[in-house]
Amino acid sequence: MRNLIKTTLLSAAIAAAPLALAGAAWAQDTLSLPNLSYRTGPFAATGIPLMNGQRDYMLMLNERDGGVNGVLLGYEECETGYNTEKGVECYEKTKATGIVTQPWSTGITLQVLPKSNVDKIPILAPGYGFSAMQDGKTFQWAYNPPASYWDGASMILQNISGGNLDSLKGKKIAFLHLDHPFGKEPIPLFQAMAEKHGFSFLPIPVGLSEMQNQSAQWLQIRREKPDFVVMWGWGAMNAGAITEAVKTKYPMNQFVGIWWSSLDGDLKLVGEEGKGYRSISWSFPNSQSPVMQDVKKYVVDAGKSMINKDAGEFEWVFYQRGILISAMLVEGIKAAQANFNTKVINAEQLRWGLENLKFDDASIKSLGLEGMIPPFSTSCANHTGHSGGWMLEWDGSKFVKASDLLQADRAAIDPLVTSEAAKYAAANAPWPVSTECKM
Amino acid sequence: MNLLEGIFVKPFQDMFGAPDFLIQVLWEGLVSGTLYALIALGFVLIYKSSRIFNFAQGIMVVFAALTLVGLHERGLPAWVALPLTLVVMLILAVAIERVVLRPLVNQPDIILFMATIGITLFLIGFGEIVFGGENKAMITSQLGIPTGSLEFEPFGGFVSIEQRDLTTVVGAIVLVVALLVFLNRSKMGRAIRALGDDHQAALSVGISLSTIWVLVWFIAGIIALATGIAWGSRAGVSFALEVIAYKALPVLMLGGLESVTGAIVGGLMIGVAEKLFEIYWGQPLLGGNTETWFAYVVALMVLLFRPQGLFGEKIIERV
Repeated sequence: MRNLIKTTLLSAAIAAAPLALAGAAWAQDTLSLPNLSYRTGPFAATGIPLMNGQRDYMLMLNERDGGVNGVLLGYEECETGYNTEKGVECYEKTKATGIVTQPWSTGITLQVLPKSNVDKIPILAPGYGFSAMQDGKTFQWAYNPPASYWDGASMILQNISGGNLDSLKGKKIAFLHLDHPFGKEPIPLFQAMAEKHGFSFLPIPVGLSEMQNQSAQWLQIRREKPDFVVMWGWGAMNAGAITEAVKTKYPMNQFVGIWWSSLDGDLKLVGEEGKGYRSISWSFPNSQSPVMQDVKKYVVDAGKSMINKDAGEFEWVFYQRGILISAMLVEGIKAAQANFNTKVINAEQLRWGLENLKFDDASIKSLGLEGMIPPFSTSCANHTGHSGGWMLEWDGSKFVKASDLLQADRAAIDPLVTSEAAKYAAANAPWPVSTECKM
Repeated sequence: MNLLEGIFVKPFQDMFGAPDFLIQVLWEGLVSGTLYALIALGFVLIYKSSRIFNFAQGIMVVFAALTLVGLHERGLPAWVALPLTLVVMLILAVAIERVVLRPLVNQPDIILFMATIGITLFLIGFGEIVFGGENKAMITSQLGIPTGSLEFEPFGGFVSIEQRDLTTVVGAIVLVVALLVFLNRSKMGRAIRALGDDHQAALSVGISLSTIWVLVWFIAGIIALATGIAWGSRAGVSFALEVIAYKALPVLMLGGLESVTGAIVGGLMIGVAEKLFEIYWGQPLLGGNTETWFAYVVALMVLLFRPQGLFGEKIIERV
């Protein structure tokens, strides 16, 4: 009952937060930072720890430092349920006051992409969205640091091939993916790689209504006997796939997922039986890092967090990835404040900040994020930054690092980025392309 | 020629070439079909007794399963959490009858249908506030459901049957038989059927509308709990389960909205047929993921020839 009361009060607090911050703004300036969250619906299991992490980092800075350079961070959630139509509604609702939009779905990102040019609001889509958003000259308002889906696909191929993609010749890779823009996003890169390196690529789509009933997909995997299964899963699809893999007795060390398929909660459902499952990731949890200790002190222990302590959510990959996502946004804000010599920045100024993100070893250390994210930096021409990533492996109770830092094959990806960005601009003509960026 | 071969020759070659795999496909289809039939039964019972198409049946599956897991998480043993969940479903049935249905008696069907959408939205919000939206593990072993697999080697091949799936099928059969006995042999069961046949005549002989509604919604709650345990033991309990409930819609179109037999036969037919089609035709010829639409196409084809469904009642109205 105490938990119920606490959850109810915290939910009410989230709803009332914008009002409270509006009141606080009389005394202190506040930046409106909307997040198109999904704490409800079929994808809630994935969304909740991510959004908790994003929220708690902002709360921690507000509590510890009084915001950023004296300006409060007004973290506001607009619930989409991962539904594209609701996401667009949330974008329209928040664009008047927000200085950023965080769409949290590749489908929503693709919908708001053309709007951002008109409304001049930067889209921050860390680790998701359209991979060609890397091309900052074409996608002037869209940012997907620190790695794109095509980066993820390339790193997975490098890892399973032992660094030599030609060794995949004659092998079969099944691509189990959500039948949704997110799941289809890496297909062009996989197809290009399959053609170049001589492996066969077998896409296996999973419909939204089949996420928890993937027996047909795993029967196909049993029949086709692929050498590897690569998963692009989100929400309930991940748990469904992992339990079916266990049931089918597919070798876990041949089963690899993208970073959104590394939710501790999903793997805990199978526990020891999921041992050996791997997932590429641009983030790694480090609960002893200074930033996590501050989040613990100022937010979790103070009873202001919404995390599920009993489930150990504080330690989860997704929760701490949420922390990193907010850290990227805040570093963009700080860069813009310094460059424009103003505390209360606008959307256009934040755009400059996001294309001048510098997460080098020194800044990662000074932010207290050591070991949690590889170095990367963005520019007006490159909105992704390409941090690379680590292969994580489920050891039966948690994810551990199972590789050194991997880097995507730029020679394979960059030409595809250029051609897909040009194709997108032509299909959406007249599409503004930056002439200011000389890089 | 290749296409014709792919449609008429290759699938059957594959079936007879690997009979063990065919058995596995049929088994998986049977398990899915059993679960579709269970969800459809919930819809049919409520429609039969009150002419309400209960849009909330899907969320009731989630709510029942979440309540069970949630009570267990709060420290109650499974043998206490299970009956307590049934009590919660009974309270829900009483509340729905008192707060939603009773004030809307004699209103047009569409109003009652809209009211069930309201119930859905309420249960989503309430469920998320109380239990959260995270995926939770079903307390399968605590409920005594075996979790291993039985393995066979027919025709020199390999067939694996999950014991929890076997339990689901057996449990569903027991539930359906109990339901049929209750509906056909008990006084209350006959009252439910009488209400379904003719509301006014049933009321005139003293059958209490509110009691029957509570009873029917409670039975739908029991079915929802059974479905939630079965689905939840496969891939966890989350709000994604609600989406699966919509798979029951083509089952209802196929079997007929008023027929218990139709729900069972329709569910099994669709479960097996969609699995066979997906594996032998959908994946090789259409790139897969045909299960999202196949059942609807079959149901629509049946409706062309039998608008009332395979087992529905033919309604003739004079104008």
